[in-house]
Amino acid sequence: MAEYEIRETLLKIDGVSLTLGGKLILRDVHAEVKNVHRQGMSQGQVVGLLGPSGVGKTRLFRILAGLDSPDSGQVLLGAEGKPVARGSVGVVAQDYPLFAHRTVLSNLMVAAGQVGKKESDCRALLERFGLTGHEKKYPAQLSGGQRQRVSIAQQLLCSDHLLLMDEPFSGLDLVALGTVIQFLGEIAATDELKTFVIVTHDIEAAIEVCDTLWLLGRDRDEKNEIIPGARVQKVYDLMALGLAWRDGITDDPAYLALLREIRAIFPLL
Amino acid sequence: MKRSPADVFLPNRFVPPRAMLLVIGFQVAVALLIWILSPFKVLPKPLEVFSALGALVRDSEFTQAVGSSFTVFFKALGLIVGISLGLSYLTVVPFFRPLVNAITKGRFLSLVGFSVLFTLILQDGAKVKLAMLVLGGVTFLLTSTADVVAQIPRAQFDHARTLRMNEWQVVWEVVVRGTLSQMFDSIRQNAAVLWALIPVVEVMFRVEGGLGQLLDVERKYLHLDRVYSIQFVFVSIGLLQDWGIGLLRGMLCPHADLTKERQSG
Repeated sequence: MAEYEIRETLLKIDGVSLTLGGKLILRDVHAEVKNVHRQGMSQGQVVGLLGPSGVGKTRLFRILAGLDSPDSGQVLLGAEGKPVARGSVGVVAQDYPLFAHRTVLSNLMVAAGQVGKKESDCRALLERFGLTGHEKKYPAQLSGGQRQRVSIAQQLLCSDHLLLMDEPFSGLDLVALGTVIQFLGEIAATDELKTFVIVTHDIEAAIEVCDTLWLLGRDRDEKNEIIPGARVQKVYDLMALGLAWRDGITDDPAYLALLREIRAIFPLL
Repeated sequence: MKRSPADVFLPNRFVPPRAMLLVIGFQVAVALLIWILSPFKVLPKPLEVFSALGALVRDSEFTQAVGSSFTVFFKALGLIVGISLGLSYLTVVPFFRPLVNAITKGRFLSLVGFSVLFTLILQDGAKVKLAMLVLGGVTFLLTSTADVVAQIPRAQFDHARTLRMNEWQVVWEVVVRGTLSQMFDSIRQNAAVLWALIPVVEVMFRVEGGLGQLLDVERKYLHLDRVYSIQFVFVSIGLLQDWGIGLLRGMLCPHADLTKERQSG
């Protein structure tokens, strides 16, 4: 098992609750991401927020992104506990939004301009993401994978360390899924403080790419009826289970056991 | 997919430009044939119309009329576009939404009732003509441009916000720049309507001349060859300005047609 050390808090969800149209959506959500340090390595954090459709993942995603405010509680960033503000967190939505009227390079430049970065930073990122030669293309001329990479690059340019991704595995075939999983792992390894929170309902992909899993769901009362308002019911530490930072874990008995366990819980969330 | 000549009669098939030119040539030839063989004696034949057109373009009155109609058109279009786009963009501020909504309802008003009011206020036929065109034009163009702004999905605003843009930067990037191609589409349609309205107001307010007045005079004297030659000029200029707006759209918004199966015509 890889040696690692848990250090300072990078992201803290502190008692977040949200009611919409008189309906409780999120109830006292608590969760925390800490800096995982591996000796002699740069290792970011990849957290998976798992939950069935309609449970409130998107609402929590918007609160984490600073796009919506909760009714109570707060989201704090960094060791100093700075409240989240929109723009301080990178957000890659499901359809990989880009400015359709701007070219690839121009899309990156507009993000870079917001934080005083230069064209050379954008070109370096394009090279790292394998997008050299696509600078003058418009988003409509890109493939789904290219569009996803440009969207991530755009957000990385102007966010600090935290990047939220909404359903990045949605609609991908097996080959594309493998590429995305590898790509996310590579980006996460570029900076020790880099933290990805991936919102998904794809259990297999989440176990493969993440080092921590949060299960968002609603509790049930003694009559087995759903109590309104989702919360993080369970946290899985994939590092402790020996499933993090490894390739080819899908044949590992620990992987299969975890997959079975989550699949059994999922319909009850 | 294998191509065949039958593709021109099948839905959603790609037809090469050269084949399309053949189709257009065929349709123009059929239209001319119908015109030439038309049994209606009052309808001048193509040669009569084109010979009248030759005489018309040599007439200094005609050049003056074209210039006058063109000037009115561009003045009105400039004002209509400026007012409509300005008001549409202002709808990002909730205070202006009821006002814009009320103005768009003006398209159900009859302009005739306003001619007297404008004449009394402005006391100048040319200004009244322009005011009538602008009033009519703004109510229609504003309806579509304000709708373009209203239809922008929330995700596009959120995307700009996640890039640390303040709300005015969001407006510039998403509302102004992001909708430019759609605004051009609306302007293009409304410019065609405006051009078609020019002869109507030129006949209503007989100041400054113009193609409309020229058309009306020839119509009264039943010079049908000249009437149709003026109509031909009118259509040609209309198509030219439509092409010009399309060209400008293509230059400023090269991304706009990338995902379309068919290119805009």
